[in-house]
Amino acid sequence: MAHEAKSLSTPTGSAPIDVEADAIQAIGMGIAQPDDATALRREEAGADYEVALESLNQWQLAWRKFRHHRLALMGLGILASFFIIALVGPIVWPFDFNTIPQPDVIVYQGRPPSLVHPFGETGGLQRDVLNLVINGARTSLFIGFSSMALGVLIGTIVGSLAGFIGGVLDNVLMRTVDVFLSIPLLFLILVASRFFGNGNVMLIVMIFAFFSWMGIARLVRSLFLSIREREFVEAARAVGVRDRRIIFRHILPNAISPIVVSASLIVAANIISEAFVSFLGFGVNPIYPTWGNILSNALTFIPLGNWWWPFFPGLMIILTVLAVNFVGDGLRDALDPRTRA
Amino acid sequence: MTAEATVAEISVTIGERPAGTAPGEDILLDVRGLQTHFHVMDGTVRAVDGVSFSVPRGGTVGLVGESACGKSVTALTIMRLLDIPPAEIVGGEVWFDGREILALPEEEMRHLRGNDIAMIFQEPLTSLNPVLTVGDQISEQVRLHLKVDKKEGLGRAIESLRTVGIPNPEQRVKQYPHEMSGGMRQRVMIAMALSCEPKLLIADEPTTALDVTIQAQILELLKAVQERTKSALMLITHDLGVVAEMVDEIVVMYAGQIVEQGTAEQVLTRPMDPYTMGLIESLPSVKKRGGRLSAIKGVVPSPFNLPPGCRFAPRCPYVWDACRTTSPELIPVGGHGQRARCLLHTPAGAPRRAAVFDTAASSGTTAGHGA
Repeated sequence: MAHEAKSLSTPTGSAPIDVEADAIQAIGMGIAQPDDATALRREEAGADYEVALESLNQWQLAWRKFRHHRLALMGLGILASFFIIALVGPIVWPFDFNTIPQPDVIVYQGRPPSLVHPFGETGGLQRDVLNLVINGARTSLFIGFSSMALGVLIGTIVGSLAGFIGGVLDNVLMRTVDVFLSIPLLFLILVASRFFGNGNVMLIVMIFAFFSWMGIARLVRSLFLSIREREFVEAARAVGVRDRRIIFRHILPNAISPIVVSASLIVAANIISEAFVSFLGFGVNPIYPTWGNILSNALTFIPLGNWWWPFFPGLMIILTVLAVNFVGDGLRDALDPRTRA
Repeated sequence: MTAEATVAEISVTIGERPAGTAPGEDILLDVRGLQTHFHVMDGTVRAVDGVSFSVPRGGTVGLVGESACGKSVTALTIMRLLDIPPAEIVGGEVWFDGREILALPEEEMRHLRGNDIAMIFQEPLTSLNPVLTVGDQISEQVRLHLKVDKKEGLGRAIESLRTVGIPNPEQRVKQYPHEMSGGMRQRVMIAMALSCEPKLLIADEPTTALDVTIQAQILELLKAVQERTKSALMLITHDLGVVAEMVDEIVVMYAGQIVEQGTAEQVLTRPMDPYTMGLIESLPSVKKRGGRLSAIKGVVPSPFNLPPGCRFAPRCPYVWDACRTTSPELIPVGGHGQRARCLLHTPAGAPRRAAVFDTAASSGTTAGHGA
């Protein structure tokens, strides 16, 4: 009778467990699993020829797709060259921004672009606009990227604590986010930079970071909430992995793609905010060039027809923000697991 | 944790052994009167409601039942992997290897997991972390529990991949889960579970997500490694065919309770509970060719609205008035260790018993196993 019962079993046949069974299965997958198939065919053939079994991690896979995104590559190129210019430019370019050629001469008209001054000269102290733009790039890019980094750090910590631990802490943190989001940010930034900033770059960075982490916090929280319930996290707990390790090694790497994408958009937003705040005279101390400061200083000369003074820093802002957005777009496509080949 | 308090308070006798005393040396896992409830918005779900069974060292036990009958929750309670709250272990004891583990501090429990009790999950496709290589994931727990360095951890990972029949393990450890087929990934899961040579292996529907040919391979493999490593196996499944092949003892669950338990032969050939009989009848078989497959009518009752009497009463073909008011106990039947939860086996059901088991013998059960 017992063996009668066993005959009921449908799936348990007597297929041997060996390499061939898997090889058949893997080859059956055909194009979908080329690596499997080639590896196993080689095994069957007694490994008399070597086929590289290439394994790519998530970044290598992402780069492979990013490469095919033309605009994103262009954006990356623009950003990279701006970075190089910002770092090397002040050393290479013959005009020092602290030295004013003729401090006692004040002119009412700047000079349009020429061979010596490709971006023209300013009115007033006759400074080289290219020189200002290069030095401004340092500050503006620094503010844009470091305030993003700080904001993303705060947002990730808050979001992961809220999402992973949950309960009361989640409530407290998320209501804090709500409060931050309900404040009219623009005015707060203006007031904060006037009272705490005093034109200091580091303080401006901190103010920007302090008001740009909420989106990331919400994003990270939602990612943690969903990834925490994924089976591999339970599997990790089932083998005795500590919470700390689960957060940093199992959940965070899976959440990193959306974080990177939205971080790139924050950079663009922060560069624009910096220009805006500095333009209004509430940002970085106006004696230091940032793209916003240059625009602000150019304001009075625009009616005189000095178009080159605001045009070039403005162009830099537009190019940088576009480049950052293109890179963000490329990252979104490259890191999206649904489009993974 | 709440478990500590409740376990200490329990003084009643659960199952065969008095509460608070360790089981015999030959028993690896002894679950007694386990009660796990979930407190959710609509009320309390008694997901596991007084479940007692034991797994001998090196033995194999199958936990069988429909979806949502409490099989997986039982396993997760044993592993203490449930989120508390919403879950609450209301009562019962779990003795593992001579220790009561529901009261263990979390830190000691963590050492037990993966090292002494390993679990194989249902979905090999989602149970592996997509951003870590297979080798990283296996060696992670080896390094965690056996305190070896990275190189040795990887060596062990390669070794355990070889054990489960994965060709070219030196290359495979460097691969990511998405580069493997479903069957391969389930092998990786098994390799992972075995890497620390656990005393108990809990397999939660290990083959449900795989196609039938791969199912057969994985089950053979599981059986082979279980026999080789002498670890005990607790197999959770809804597939009676699988348990028939794999286990010595069967525990049938319905709506959070055990409705029948006994050896595989007893339960499959002489089912004593109408629910088990229904399950067996609903299997396709060579002898029933051409006819319609029978199914148990109705669905599992809502956990918020359990029937007052026998929980199977609304679906039972042999139901009578008493079933709707009296809750049956799990009582010994037949005198060979088999137990069933049905009023038919009480004195009250005696007049009907003969009729039921005669019809069963002539129609339903015969379809599978003859008399």
